[in-house]
Amino acid sequence: MSEPILVPIEMDQSWRYAATAAMARFCEGLKECRIEALRCEGCGRRYLPPRPVCGNCHLLLRDWVPVRDEGRLAAWTVVHVPILDARSGRTREAPYGMGLIRLDGADTTLNHYVAEHDPSRLAIGLRVRAVWRERLEGAIDDILHFEVLR
Amino acid sequence: MNPVAVIGTGQTRHARARDDASQPELVREAAARALDDAGIRPRDIDAVVIANMELFEGRAWPELWVGEAAFAAGKPCLKVATGGTSGTSGCIAGFHQVASGLFDIVLVVGFEKHSEGHTQTGMTLTDPYWDRAVASGAVGNFALSVSQYMAERGVTELQAAQVAVKARRNATRNPHAHLQMPAITVEEVLASRPLAHPLRLLDMCPQSDGACAIVVASGDKARKLNPRPAWVKATATRHEQPYIGDIDRRLITMRTLRDAAREAYASAGIREPLKELDVAEIYEPVSYAELAWYEALGFCAEGEAGRLIEDGVTEMDGELPVNPSGGVLSTNPVGASGVIRVAEAALQIHGRGGDRQVEGARTALATGYGVYAWADVIVLADRP
Repeated sequence: MSEPILVPIEMDQSWRYAATAAMARFCEGLKECRIEALRCEGCGRRYLPPRPVCGNCHLLLRDWVPVRDEGRLAAWTVVHVPILDARSGRTREAPYGMGLIRLDGADTTLNHYVAEHDPSRLAIGLRVRAVWRERLEGAIDDILHFEVLR
Repeated sequence: MNPVAVIGTGQTRHARARDDASQPELVREAAARALDDAGIRPRDIDAVVIANMELFEGRAWPELWVGEAAFAAGKPCLKVATGGTSGTSGCIAGFHQVASGLFDIVLVVGFEKHSEGHTQTGMTLTDPYWDRAVASGAVGNFALSVSQYMAERGVTELQAAQVAVKARRNATRNPHAHLQMPAITVEEVLASRPLAHPLRLLDMCPQSDGACAIVVASGDKARKLNPRPAWVKATATRHEQPYIGDIDRRLITMRTLRDAAREAYASAGIREPLKELDVAEIYEPVSYAELAWYEALGFCAEGEAGRLIEDGVTEMDGELPVNPSGGVLSTNPVGASGVIRVAEAALQIHGRGGDRQVEGARTALATGYGVYAWADVIVLADRP
């Protein structure tokens, strides 16, 4: 059995990605706590994140519709073994709640943190509301997490 | 299309860390065994397909760096990298190359060496605007979908634990399997460490180092080289929209696997899969997924999956043994896992399953599952 050789590589890299016009408008909206979805004129599905084309109908999407920063839990979990944050390489302190949230006005769901990690206090259908951070930067984590409305 | 069969299989010993072998050595171990099993030499291979998720190992161009070990130098070689479906899609690519008449013999090799890299880092490299800040990883994503599946279909943690136990007990009859837990009990599964509610450590697949290869041959060559070729009766593939939030009630609807199964059964002439299939090797990265796949694959009606595992229908001595190999729950080198499903299904038709052989298996199912919901379905049989 050969000993594994540790290759000491530390990478500190930056990437730049071009957003579509749809994602750029969505991110600009976040800076003002505004959430907008794109609605397909074929199937009527209101998409978050907004994207140029409906994958089911193949129609161009251009019908912007307002979405509230409140909605319902469509799914939930309490994470004990956190995944890395791909941007910082750090992990979040566990346990923490996560949910698929169907915001009022959207048909797809948003994967995000939920400020509740007691499984007995989480259920599908619970109303939740976004808690925004103070300095808005036009990114999805302008929403810190969702709080459960009781 | 020309008739196509799997005529040889080979796999490595799978383990948490195969420090005794480099990536090319792992690939050569599986490839050489598959050639031996098929009774062919390297020069008989016309083309090679490689399945691997290179971001997990952080080493670019696996087809360059392990290709030689798969006997690909100087030959056509391509790579498939579609998460969990890499292996099954790689096999389907090989089937198509032979069915089209382009090649007579194709070697498909899948491998992964998770111990050398950072699988979680690779998995977080999703849409930079949408998922990266709020990624929940494979475990978290499954846990979210499981909460819906449990609420809607009424499956229980105990039924999921029974799936976890079945897999690990079956693995004890498979000398290649990574996890060897002969004394495992449902109590032990239910007492294992919570990962993401309701998933526990023993509900999840391990990360393994390993490789698996199959030899695919055209009709005449297949008949000459193997007394019981595993003929490819049907293949079907489905992909999905890009975000987990697009796939409403993922484990419940599972439209990709459902549609792929329907298409594959129709072309293989299968009406009642539970009765007509003799064995199935399905890609179940988590215990609950196996229950959801029973429904999507038409083994039972919606809401009946829990009863199937309780009644032992999918145990080795049941009506349809599911994952005699121990499945992904016992061994998961991602790029190889789909090839393992196909190789294990083919072994059953070849009658070379050893202690995990299902007596008289004539029709076998293999499936793949990748990223949020991609699905592959393959039917193999003892006649073309």
